[in-house]
Amino acid sequence: MRWKPKLTSLVAALAGLLLFGIVLRHYWPPSRSLAFPRGTIIVGVDASYAPFALDDGESLQGLDVDLATAVAGEIGLPLRFANIGHYGLYDALISAEVDLLISALRIDPNRMEDVRYSLPYFDNGLVLVAPADSALPDANALTGKGIAFEFASSADSFIRAWQTQGIQLERLPYELPQYALDSLRLGRADAALVDATAYLLYQSEQENWESDHSYVSHVPLAIAVRADNVDAWKLVNGALSALKDKDELARILVKWL
Amino acid sequence: MLVALILYLRPVPWAGDKLNVEQQVVDSAKPQVCVHTLLENEVEESKILRSLELVREMGASTIVQFFPWAYAEPEAGAYSWGIADRIVRHARLQGLRVIARLGLVPEWARADDAPRATTLNYLPESSFSYFADYAAAFAQRFAGEVERIIIWNEPNLSFEWGYRPVDPAAYVRLLRISYGRVKAANPDAVVLAGALAPTLEPPGSAAGMNEVDFLKAMYRHGASAYFDALAIHTYGFLDPPAAQPKLNQLNFRRAELLRDVMLAHGDGRKPAYITESGWNDHPRWTGAVRPSQRAAYTLRAFQFVEDKWDWVESLCIWAFRFPADTFSHPDNYTLVNAEFLPKPIYFELQAYARDWARPEAAWLPRPVEA
Repeated sequence: MRWKPKLTSLVAALAGLLLFGIVLRHYWPPSRSLAFPRGTIIVGVDASYAPFALDDGESLQGLDVDLATAVAGEIGLPLRFANIGHYGLYDALISAEVDLLISALRIDPNRMEDVRYSLPYFDNGLVLVAPADSALPDANALTGKGIAFEFASSADSFIRAWQTQGIQLERLPYELPQYALDSLRLGRADAALVDATAYLLYQSEQENWESDHSYVSHVPLAIAVRADNVDAWKLVNGALSALKDKDELARILVKWL
Repeated sequence: MLVALILYLRPVPWAGDKLNVEQQVVDSAKPQVCVHTLLENEVEESKILRSLELVREMGASTIVQFFPWAYAEPEAGAYSWGIADRIVRHARLQGLRVIARLGLVPEWARADDAPRATTLNYLPESSFSYFADYAAAFAQRFAGEVERIIIWNEPNLSFEWGYRPVDPAAYVRLLRISYGRVKAANPDAVVLAGALAPTLEPPGSAAGMNEVDFLKAMYRHGASAYFDALAIHTYGFLDPPAAQPKLNQLNFRRAELLRDVMLAHGDGRKPAYITESGWNDHPRWTGAVRPSQRAAYTLRAFQFVEDKWDWVESLCIWAFRFPADTFSHPDNYTLVNAEFLPKPIYFELQAYARDWARPEAAWLPRPVEA
């Protein structure tokens, strides 16, 4: 009968140790050598997708390339890129061919068994755009307005959903998102619904046109890390936070968008 | 109250029993029109049904559909056919012919002495026989319904070969063992080899091997005896469909380079199935054309096949619809978006396949300065 208290004490002690270990692991500073055992951060990127990453034949250029360089600088390790087609990116990460994916990837809930995502660095959701001198309509005030958009895009699905909800608006479908924005700029539409990248690129090319925008949906883009590489995930989030605090992230976004 | 409670707690029938659909017939004037569907991850049966209804209504009579081994045999020897049964049943009810693409390795079959984490495309040689067993079990279960079976996908790409160096000889060994077992299970089955990715990877590349060299190597290792037809992937990228094929260029007629290899090895009697093809129309992807070009090129590609490639049985467009948007350039290969909204190319293909008048332009002309 005397062994029971001893066993209970032992189990309690082990449980306590385990809990202590988990807490310690959570708060302990991440290790660069555990996160990136090769001593170099290898970043997988699909360099065929403007303005995030492009291969000009000599080097890679783009928002994601600059971001990767800045993140590696914050972590304090050298960087190497692996240019991989979109469909091979996640397999490259899972099989440890690369350490990180920085490739305009949206946070995908279906992949979270294998992947951890960083803090988002850009929101590529849909934005409702209007000229700066007019009141920016929200979705509830679109009745009677002409809305320009790319036909059969996610913007089109959104507008159809608004119509299903009873909002009587005029559909102005175009072949490309930039044509929808042309329509707005030239006064043929009251608003345009396009993705944030299309809008920011267009606005940056139109020096004499001022517009305003608001998000109607959110598509956060983030850096992907293997789920078991908690140290890398912490280091990347730390780097992103530092870049944000120093306005370096904003500078990179403005440079490319 | 009690009745409400009983109704609430009553067993819910499996979704496979829910949707009763009348047998349909595809109305099509163009038997080559085919699409690659991605129904294996659909949880809701209604979405499988809606996808296949749209395929039929478009006038495509054939689909290529992925049947993941990892879903069918999550534990060794214990088959679970629910997902495959549901897809094949609905395809049959819509009057569609199915070309099955097999792959995706269950975890138990990947367990060897790999030095690092493996992907779902990692098939060690010790598991070739298990894969062949799955292919045979599939062929037997769906005999009379699914007669065309593709062995693996794009083995000339490292990532499709489990992030290992590509190995034509090993792929031929996989083909050999699979061919024998599939034929034993269903002598009428047509075994498709290849499904090679169009790529310009140079010799020695870690990423893969160009598909023409890979096919030549397959023949050197005796592949000819182990397939009945070749599955071809050919994309247009920036070129129109009639652009001349070249070894150093990716375009639609690059398929002819693979046909030349078949002819050089005495396999001219075997047909080909183009199981992936198409153009992309993302506004910011380097390999994309405009949506109107995409539609025009795609129609001309079908006409080209009809007029000049009598060795091609089907031209299948990648991809009909994704279950969820990627919010990146792959979305712009689809014919229908994730919310089942058909794109202009869908209506163009429908008019072509069903011999209807071409639809009016779906969009307004580009606005210009007054």
